[in-house]
Amino acid sequence: MLRARTPLGWLQLTHSKSRFIVASAGVGFAVLLVFMQLGFMNMLFDSTTVIHQQFKTDLVIMSADAEGIVPDSGSFSRRRLIQAAGVPGVADWAEVYIGTLNWTKPSDGTLGAVVVFGVPTDVRVFANSALDAQMPLLRTSGTMLIDEGSRGDYRAFFARIAAGEQPQVKLAGETVTAIGTFNFGSSFGTEAYGVVSRETFLQLDRSRHPGVINMGLVTVTPGVDLASMADAVSKAIGATEVKVWTMPDFMEVTRDFLRVNSPIATIFTFGVLVGLFVGAVIVVQILTSDVQDHLGEYATFKAMGFKNRYLLGIVYEQSAILTVFGFLPALLLSILLYRLVGAAVAMDMNMTWSRVGWVFALTVGMCLAAGTIAVRRIYSADPAEVF
Amino acid sequence: MTTASPPRPAIRIAHLNHWYGEGDLRRLVLRDLSLSVERGKTTFLMGPSGCGKTTLLTLVGALRSVMDGSVQVLGRELSGADETALVETRRRAGFIFQHHNLHRSLTVLQNVRMGLEVKGEAGKRDAIDRCLEVLSAVGLADHVHKYQDQISGGQKQRAAVARALVGKPELLLADEPTAALDSKTGREVIELVQRLAAERGMTVLMVTHDNRILDIADRIVEIEDGRILSEAPPKADAIPHPERLPTVWTRV
Ligand SMILES: Nc1ncnc2c1ncn2[C@@H]1O[C@H](COP(=O)(O)OP(=O)(O)OP(=O)(O)O)[C@@H](O)[C@H]1O
Ligand SMILES: [Mg+2]
Repeated sequence: MLRARTPLGWLQLTHSKSRFIVASAGVGFAVLLVFMQLGFMNMLFDSTTVIHQQFKTDLVIMSADAEGIVPDSGSFSRRRLIQAAGVPGVADWAEVYIGTLNWTKPSDGTLGAVVVFGVPTDVRVFANSALDAQMPLLRTSGTMLIDEGSRGDYRAFFARIAAGEQPQVKLAGETVTAIGTFNFGSSFGTEAYGVVSRETFLQLDRSRHPGVINMGLVTVTPGVDLASMADAVSKAIGATEVKVWTMPDFMEVTRDFLRVNSPIATIFTFGVLVGLFVGAVIVVQILTSDVQDHLGEYATFKAMGFKNRYLLGIVYEQSAILTVFGFLPALLLSILLYRLVGAAVAMDMNMTWSRVGWVFALTVGMCLAAGTIAVRRIYSADPAEVF
Repeated sequence: MTTASPPRPAIRIAHLNHWYGEGDLRRLVLRDLSLSVERGKTTFLMGPSGCGKTTLLTLVGALRSVMDGSVQVLGRELSGADETALVETRRRAGFIFQHHNLHRSLTVLQNVRMGLEVKGEAGKRDAIDRCLEVLSAVGLADHVHKYQDQISGGQKQRAAVARALVGKPELLLADEPTAALDSKTGREVIELVQRLAAERGMTVLMVTHDNRILDIADRIVEIEDGRILSEAPPKADAIPHPERLPTVWTRV
């Protein structure tokens, strides 16, 4: 009990427990809004790179104007990939054909579209080992694998496949046999994914020239630095029509493209601002009414010889307390909600340290601004009025 | 103790004018008022409602700026003084208000401790002991951890007295401290103030309407319409309103 300063802000705020809980909940609500906005925004951005993570590769060669893998990958000459194959340090490579084909949806028999990947069956293309294990089956011409995450009620159809049946599917006017399923995880944009062999793909998409591919995958020998390999491959190709990326870099490019070219960031930034504004209004309300309630006591303190600065300190102390007591529960609740939402939409919704830091800084700023508005009333406490 | 040289007065007021409002609404409430208050003495300010007692007290307590004339308190001229000087003077004085003005989120002890905190003495090792000492002097030893809504009116006013006295002020200013109390409790509180003041050689300037406690004063100053009407104690026949005063009203 040897503190030089009475923690008046704390004592005033917590004098009524119920009011304190309501006040903290108000701040927490605003913080929760901000966290959820940022969480949804990043989940949207992440969703565009879910597909990237399905491929097992070190480097990826894409058309220079590629915006991502799906839907707008662009296309380029297969010769570029052959050039890359000759670079020392390259261990393996694979070409990927990507096309959006019409099909009769096995779910309900209506017409729809499916994004089909045509890949070689003799090299490792996919990261998912269950999918990779099924690749040899695709060597039988006219066979396909179907994504379990396809939108619609596919339960009966997948049950037949699981039971060992090989149901037929109408794809790009041809009859194709569904011989298995895989799971790419969720994605917002695409209705359905299918995987076929390179050869089957070229049979289905008759307009496609075999020499025009959409993506090149390059595996390097272990221990080689990926960034310098990307440079080396890029130099060896020497063409401006393609670009060579490490996969994480290309994921970043895809996210950036979405960030810059869609209103997503603007919409969610607005959401964040609304959250902060709501929070600031709540805090101003709480602090102003507390100052108002204690104006007589503050005037008494001034009469005793306390300076305005001391009284301003009480209000800022309160805003700091509200920051912490609003932020921490909101953070815990956000992490919980991220888990629940993530589970519901089958996507990762992760809390990152940098987001925690940013939102905390924003909360501090919000409470500080609110405190600055609320302290002005302190000056109206007149020590001459206490007698 | 002997006084070698004539002691400097605790308060010296000369030709003080004070008004409220501006222009046509301007009202003079203190008029060319001069008054000197000796150190270590208890002086009562009396007079009809609205005569300017509280205004005078707030000027002496440095709670208001002096407009015209001179107010010297504890050797410092308050006329033209800046905020820092006013705050310093406030810290050397103790205040007791008509209402206790205790902080409702603080316990009695925490309230009293504010009287040390304002002087930067709350962090000292003996701070709590000092608080407890005054609290037991005012008879609140058993109530130190209670909040103001858990004690009686008299106890609240005693707590306020303890808060005013814990910092050992040289000057105690009180404005109708007994107004909210019944006469018995009021008298107890005033006697307490007077006893503690005497022990510490503190100067007391107190506004009161309470005739039953006038015997406690060393001196009574009567104000009317912003002017000093009379000063007691001279002789008994000079008492301004004898019918209001008890027979024993001065200890001098
Ligand atoms: N803040 C103010 N603004 C304007 N007029 C005021 C103000 N405070 C006091 N007055 C007026 O100044 C005069 C003196 O007021 P003051 O409070 O000093 O009287 P008082 O002697 O303490 O009266 P009471 O015994 O009723 O407390 C009164 O007429 C009052 O109405
Ligand atoms: Mg008054």
